[in-house]
Amino acid sequence: MTPGTATCQLQLEINGGRRTADVDPRMLLVEALRESFDVIGPKIGCGTGDCGACTIALNGEVVKACLTLAVAAQDAAIVTIEGLASDGQLSSLQEAFWDHNGFQCGYCLSGMLFAAQDLLDHDLHPDDGAIRDAISGNLCRCTGYEPIVNAISAAAQAARSRIDKSRGSNEGAA
Amino acid sequence: MVSDGLLGAAVRKQNGDRFLTGRIEYTGDLRMAGMAHMAVVRSTHAHARIVAIDTERARALPGVIALLTGEEALGLAEPIPHNLDPAGLGGQHAEIRCLAVDRVVYAGEPVAAVVAETAGEALAAARAVTVAYEPLPAVLNAQDALAPDAALLYPGWATNEMIAGETADGDFEQAALDADHVIDGELRIQRTSAAPMEPRTYLAAWDERAQRLSWFGTTQNPHPMRWVLAVALRLSESQVHVVAPPLGGAFGLKMHGHPEELLVAILSRMTGRPVRWAESRAECLLAAGREQRHRYRAAFDADGRIRGIEDELVADHGAAAAGPGWGMAFVASLAVGTGYDVQCCRVTYRVVVTNRAPWSGVRGFGKESANLLMETIVERVAETTGLDPVEVRRRNLVTADRFPYRTATGLDLDSGDYHSLLDKVLSKVGYTDARERQAVQRAAGRHVGIGIAFELTPEGADIPGALVGGYDTTTVKIAPTGHVTVLTGVTSPGNGNETAIAQLVAGRLGVPLELLDVVQGDSSLCPYGYGNLSSRSMITGGGSALLAADELGQKLRTVAARMLEATGPDAVVLRDGFAILVADEGHAIPIGAVAHAAHTLAFILALGIDPAMEATCTYRPPNIRHLPDEHGRISPFASFSNAVHAAIVEVDPETGVTVLRRHVVGHDCGTVVNPAFVDGQVYGSVCAGIGLALTEELLHDADGVLRTDGFKSYLLPRATDLPQIELLHQCTPSPFTALGMKGAGESGLGGAQAAIFNAINDALRHRGARIDALPASPARVFAALAQADQAVAA
Ligand code: FES
Ligand code: FES
Repeated sequence: MTPGTATCQLQLEINGGRRTADVDPRMLLVEALRESFDVIGPKIGCGTGDCGACTIALNGEVVKACLTLAVAAQDAAIVTIEGLASDGQLSSLQEAFWDHNGFQCGYCLSGMLFAAQDLLDHDLHPDDGAIRDAISGNLCRCTGYEPIVNAISAAAQAARSRIDKSRGSNEGAA
Repeated sequence: MVSDGLLGAAVRKQNGDRFLTGRIEYTGDLRMAGMAHMAVVRSTHAHARIVAIDTERARALPGVIALLTGEEALGLAEPIPHNLDPAGLGGQHAEIRCLAVDRVVYAGEPVAAVVAETAGEALAAARAVTVAYEPLPAVLNAQDALAPDAALLYPGWATNEMIAGETADGDFEQAALDADHVIDGELRIQRTSAAPMEPRTYLAAWDERAQRLSWFGTTQNPHPMRWVLAVALRLSESQVHVVAPPLGGAFGLKMHGHPEELLVAILSRMTGRPVRWAESRAECLLAAGREQRHRYRAAFDADGRIRGIEDELVADHGAAAAGPGWGMAFVASLAVGTGYDVQCCRVTYRVVVTNRAPWSGVRGFGKESANLLMETIVERVAETTGLDPVEVRRRNLVTADRFPYRTATGLDLDSGDYHSLLDKVLSKVGYTDARERQAVQRAAGRHVGIGIAFELTPEGADIPGALVGGYDTTTVKIAPTGHVTVLTGVTSPGNGNETAIAQLVAGRLGVPLELLDVVQGDSSLCPYGYGNLSSRSMITGGGSALLAADELGQKLRTVAARMLEATGPDAVVLRDGFAILVADEGHAIPIGAVAHAAHTLAFILALGIDPAMEATCTYRPPNIRHLPDEHGRISPFASFSNAVHAAIVEVDPETGVTVLRRHVVGHDCGTVVNPAFVDGQVYGSVCAGIGLALTEELLHDADGVLRTDGFKSYLLPRATDLPQIELLHQCTPSPFTALGMKGAGESGLGGAQAAIFNAINDALRHRGARIDALPASPARVFAALAQADQAVAA
């Protein structure tokens, strides 16, 4: 940072690791993540909260990181798209997106994956309308949404059958 | 023997896991030591003389490294070379500079550029630059621009017409005399933008010691981009290295000719620092396209047979540019008539400059507008004759036995079965039932409409004079480890063509996909190529990859045959990672071992053949014809994909709001390499067409300043705006291209737009209302209904 611009020290927990960086107090959270913390997964598609490319989880809540000033996130715990896979293992939602060609250029993936995961965390039986509602805050210019809807629906189906199976095996054990 | 093991398989996208975990680096994700940031000062006037530029306050701001005005840039760079100079086709030449020098011709035109330590500081400094303007009279639409006393944008031009042209066959006036009916009408298409989710982004690094420029950026055409930079910066092409990292969508916007492509390079040379520019959404939405007005006449008989069409297209281009945007009007004029057997056609086009941001390339590239026009005409023929609109299409579409078919505008349509595609879509949508239901709904006061559209998408273009060719080149090589690398001149905007090309090569060489990498977008590594445009990547990139894979495969089979003591290459097949003896499949060698042996024992095993374990081939589609026929017509397209759409809408007469209830599309792009990727292209394109029909429009204030500068005002379709899109396929291979492939990518847009437009007019018809302009915004639809009511009352 150049002399003359006052900077602030920002502490964040990003994808499980504690990080500190100097940020320009004028920076949006998404800009700080990308430029000061070198976390590049969240993208900037509009900067006005309309596209969802910048989506992250902030203290457990799915938010658009272009709608928060970086300094307002002091000490927050953040998960980005980089943190959605555990130990290099894609989540079943990510696998479903891959299987169903749920992205082309991939620029919208942060928004789509977080919105979809948030939906599935609350509802494992979403119909077409519920899925479309859940991702309606995100724009995708490539896919026409159809493959994304299919991917989310398949992920819900997979989650349901996992639960059925584990119930089945529990009953078997009992 | 060769195999196509993976042809038609829905293989998952290569590196998909890296996309899904946020580890793919787009241009904006690249970091370089010492990287500085550029911001652009843009004109606030549509037309003005620049009196003075005061940069003093800006230069004194924190972090500012350099500032450049148009005057200063004059000595540092040549004008931007044109992607497709209209002068080459008989139009006017405009000299396009990266920064305006003494006059601005649109609001948003770059006037100065600032480089600072951070993007925020650059932006602050750009705001602090004060430009004194002396406003000049502006022309803000094509009609005003063509008025005899209109202010001229370019002093050297006699009028504001950039270029005009005509394609004609047959005598329309005679057709009009002979026909039972002649109708005329006007169709106005709105100004819209490509709007990829990733705006344009460039990063340039000049190496003073090596005298070399490294340039990374959002470009669809890396090699032509290198030519642009070399010419403008007076460098040799070998001094410029262009890399196109993965793109966040392109849709025509990222073809070369934009001023900022050059600005970052000039400023890097000036400052000795790598310079990055990331476009804001407001800047990205300046990029325009499609705005045009058609005045048409159609001559037809009572039986619905169309005898002739006449169309005058006037395109409102905005200011002249170095990009290929104006070519969309030319292409639209060629595509009028689409897949209908209309033997008499007279089409003229005029591209007019106005004081607004210029056209850039945009998906559809004119073909979508031709489809919209043609489908509007067909619908009106049905209205006049009282025939069902489907029947009019049946009576006029080119029948399957007529291919190859030369259209009245000179295009050589390759193949198709338009009638059977139409039948498939009608049966899927349940057309007869839908009409019956519509009658019942109408009786109940509901405004339900059914719209059909046929769509022809000429693909794989090569417009004479443009530095984007219709052919392309691929190298396939195998390393001693057995690892295969495919280097190709085509690029991917994210659509998956790299994976589809990998499928083709893996199939032919019998190697697993995991042992194969496709490299695209690097001007130093890849053979000279033309990148991504006009849905060409599989025809040319796939076609050349097949040729190169077969040539390398022949060498591998020759070496393997010698190792297996077989008679010759034909006795060996490459499959499942092995070179296998056809006569005795128990005898096989891993392909990697064959490659290693060829590399290490070339003087034994590769005697008599070219020992290089690689091959480079070019594929030139045979169906492109640039030599004019007896009527002076050319056919600059490699293939002709086609589609049929059926849309069902409901209009709320109280509000004018249209809801799309169903959309069925039948698509034929010949042989499909990867069905998932083709489906993805069609869904995406249909969605974009829905946006064009209903919501997307660039709007300006009375001074010509863009108002729709964000996604709250420029409305892209969201998931909730769409019904499930019902997609079905037909496969009519092209007799001309490798494997019979046709382009996929642009097909969907024009047909969806037209089907919805027709459906809305179908919903309004019983009220005596119609719209002749897009988008079908609630206000426009409501006004049409109100006007019809007034007419009834009067
Ligand atoms: S960048 Fe945050 S919503 Fe678009
Ligand atoms: S995949 Fe490109 S924007 Fe969604």
